Amino acid sequence: MTAYLARRTLQAIAVVVLVTLIVFVLLSLAPGGASVQVLGSGSAHQQFLAAYLTWLGRVLHGNLGYSSRLNQSVSSLLATSLPRTLALTGTSTLIALIVAIPLALVQAARRNSAVDITLRGLTYLWYGTPTVVLGPVLILFLAVHWHLFGAEGPQAPGFIGVISDVRDMTLPVATLALVTIAIFARYLRSSALDSLAQEYVEAARARGAGQRRVLAAHVLRNSLVPVVTLIGLSIPQILGGAVIVEIVFNIQGMGWQIYQAVQDRDFAVTLGFTLVIGIGAAIGSLLADIGYAALDPKVRYTQA
Amino acid sequence: MRAGLAPARRAWGRGGAGGRGVLGAFCVVAGLATVLAACGGTSSTSGAGGGPANTSTVTFAMEPGGLASYPFPFMTLANASADSVFNVNDFQYLLYRPLYWFGEGTTPYLNTTLSLAYPPTYQGHQVTIRLKSYYKWSNGEPVDAQDVVFWMNMMTAEGSQGIYYSPTGLPADVSHVKAASKFVVTMDITSAKFSEPWFTNNELSEITPMPMAWDRTATGPSDCITTISACTAVYNYLNAQSTLSPSTFGASPIWGVVDGPWKIQSLNSLGKLTVVFNKQYSGPVAPRHITTFIEVPFTSEQAEYNVLQDPTGSQIIDVGYLPTVDAPVPPAGASVGANPSSLPDYTLSSVYAWQLSYFPYNFKNDTGQAPIFDQLYFRQAFQSLVDQEGVIAGPLHGYGKPTIGPVGDYPLTKYLSPTLERLGDQWTLNIGYARQLLASHGWAPNSAGIDTCVHPGGGPADCGPKIPSGAQLKFNLIYPTGLDWMESSVRELASNASLVGIQVSLSAEPFNQVTGTAFGQFGESWQLAEWGSWTYAPDYLPTGDELFETNAPNNAGQYSNARNDALIAATLDARTSSEFYTAMYNWQDYLAGQLPVVYVPDSPTLMETIDGLNIGPQNSASTITPEDWYYLK
Repeated sequence: MTAYLARRTLQAIAVVVLVTLIVFVLLSLAPGGASVQVLGSGSAHQQFLAAYLTWLGRVLHGNLGYSSRLNQSVSSLLATSLPRTLALTGTSTLIALIVAIPLALVQAARRNSAVDITLRGLTYLWYGTPTVVLGPVLILFLAVHWHLFGAEGPQAPGFIGVISDVRDMTLPVATLALVTIAIFARYLRSSALDSLAQEYVEAARARGAGQRRVLAAHVLRNSLVPVVTLIGLSIPQILGGAVIVEIVFNIQGMGWQIYQAVQDRDFAVTLGFTLVIGIGAAIGSLLADIGYAALDPKVRYTQA
Repeated sequence: MRAGLAPARRAWGRGGAGGRGVLGAFCVVAGLATVLAACGGTSSTSGAGGGPANTSTVTFAMEPGGLASYPFPFMTLANASADSVFNVNDFQYLLYRPLYWFGEGTTPYLNTTLSLAYPPTYQGHQVTIRLKSYYKWSNGEPVDAQDVVFWMNMMTAEGSQGIYYSPTGLPADVSHVKAASKFVVTMDITSAKFSEPWFTNNELSEITPMPMAWDRTATGPSDCITTISACTAVYNYLNAQSTLSPSTFGASPIWGVVDGPWKIQSLNSLGKLTVVFNKQYSGPVAPRHITTFIEVPFTSEQAEYNVLQDPTGSQIIDVGYLPTVDAPVPPAGASVGANPSSLPDYTLSSVYAWQLSYFPYNFKNDTGQAPIFDQLYFRQAFQSLVDQEGVIAGPLHGYGKPTIGPVGDYPLTKYLSPTLERLGDQWTLNIGYARQLLASHGWAPNSAGIDTCVHPGGGPADCGPKIPSGAQLKFNLIYPTGLDWMESSVRELASNASLVGIQVSLSAEPFNQVTGTAFGQFGESWQLAEWGSWTYAPDYLPTGDELFETNAPNNAGQYSNARNDALIAATLDARTSSEFYTAMYNWQDYLAGQLPVVYVPDSPTLMETIDGLNIGPQNSASTITPEDWYYLK
């Protein structure tokens, strides 16, 4: 297991280095003096490798650049916006899991029943509805017409400030969670159906285990394996969805800042945040691998 | 020389949406505001169902993209991207008043009441500025002549880095700047010829007095006030103070010394600004004025509108903006229509910014279209395809005015030529005329329906010099993303153009990409670039030296015309007011027909003000005075 984790960690580090290289190449290719804006004048004349190493050195020292537009360092901007995005995406992912797991198990246990068909239809609907449509629709009905929830996201600073504002947090979380629920539920249902067909489930039933016990003790753990991977690999998509949700709900998180930075050609912010998201995706993938190994001993034995 | 590029609509800047600066200082947006509170702990100023709950606070929503970030009012290229109409007008001007304030009623004229000095007087080449002795800094010191000299010295030392630096402008065009007495500054104008109106409106308008408390470095007091060589260190210190974390600004001993009516209470890293009334402010204020003013940023018009429509939300906006596409069409003769039914607790008003709406041809285009743009008949044909009235009636929902020449025509000012005012829009949609013009100058459609030059040459019936046989009327038009009405208007233009054999391909790009392209940052391959408007601030006089003179820094399309240059020079050399206006009218009357740019509709900002709050008429110079705002009992 240790060797497996070590190898996976090294691979993740390699991916992160590759991400930095890609980001830097993009920086160098961007028109309008992007590299000069981020690295300072004179950098354009440096050799590519030397410039890259200079930039990487700064990044490793926590210097992601400075946004003169916002009059702030990218790091301080990150410190402000990252907790807001984590609050949004973390809450929505958690809720998605909490909802998707029983949903999928019910669907699997009652395959092709009216309940299954109805829930399948709902998850298809949520899955096929873009957040850019879902968000405004929820705002229109639940905020503007019925005033049940806020029309914009929480504006209080900090992680706690965001998650404690339930009224304003509900719609953005729901927008992001509904799509995620659909994704998780679809995978989980499929995985649970596979598990239900396994011999150990038959054996459990033969031993007299009831439906609940079968689902909770025998099906769930095995069905979660692909979902753990899915969660890890979904991080970029979740963050991508957060860009739209943050714009629609005026939440000044990472997505909001990236959108604004792109509009204003603020390369320091764009690249710094892109890098962080890339690293987040690599870490997510690593955690998924670890979780996968933890849930499925075959993985660590066969790959160690 | 400074002024602002305003993206087409309020998505980017209040009152024209604009930004202000040259090249990097594009306008952004102003907007709505908000207070917030977590989970019911609201500090909103207004109660649900209308009527203010807190009559001392106003929450003002910045237009999308607008942001307060940089307090030091002496901005250089190092912080150019922080320069915007919002950072300057909605932030710095609240704290530090410019020597001369522009914006009087709904006009962009010099406001003698709010200016720190009386109107300048000219004697020969010497200009005399008399400051009002009753204006004081919040530390009790008077706003005096030394404060103006301080700014001038700083300009002399650091001006070449300035965002608005012009080698022929301040401080190069003056000498012997001195404090003649406690409240009198004199300076000699070095230009052989100069125009008094131009110097007042476009040069002195740039000065912001700075307090003696700022004449220091980290090690202690300095001497920039008398020794110019000391100013660089002072600038570096002040700039460093301005780039500290925004959370430090509220308690900063530097930024806490203000002569404006407001002081920073807090500016958080999310861009939410809270200013409180400066009790030492010695200028005019309204009785029962508000005492706390909050500005909150937004990214999109729609997000602002959503919040406006939710009167029970934790963030209540007292003054905000309504997207034009959501505005009911005004009845004939009215400036605004009925309020949207979803906003029963607000009052709708419109504000036309002091700006010019147009987009340039690239006369230095290096992909072969420049010789086509050089032809007046082509520009006449192309302008005839722009349906300004149709765009106003359609995508703009009736909110807009056609642009009729090289000077903004709405709000109506004394700067506009009476002839042009009388003639109005001379280039209304006329597809037949455009087709006839092209056909009579050697263009005929090819098999794909695209006009092709079949009569090359310089004769009266030919395509024009340097246009080869087989050249096609195919152009690319770039425009900013995110503005629904502009999207509709350019599509309509492309459609009209296709009817006469001109193929206009459209490319939507981020606003700063469009302006960066139009100002040659990425080469000269672009052909047409629409961003919206040019805001006349802080150079308030609409002389052509900024936009249309050969080699003018903001002449994006690099239009060049010797007669135009001579007529512009006449406006800059016209010494007296009467000479100046004569020269201005002569220049406009000539250039309007030359169509150096494509005239497009000008649209207003639509403001929503919560019932019970009086903010008075908003001026077209895009400056705000919240110290005049008060709640009606």
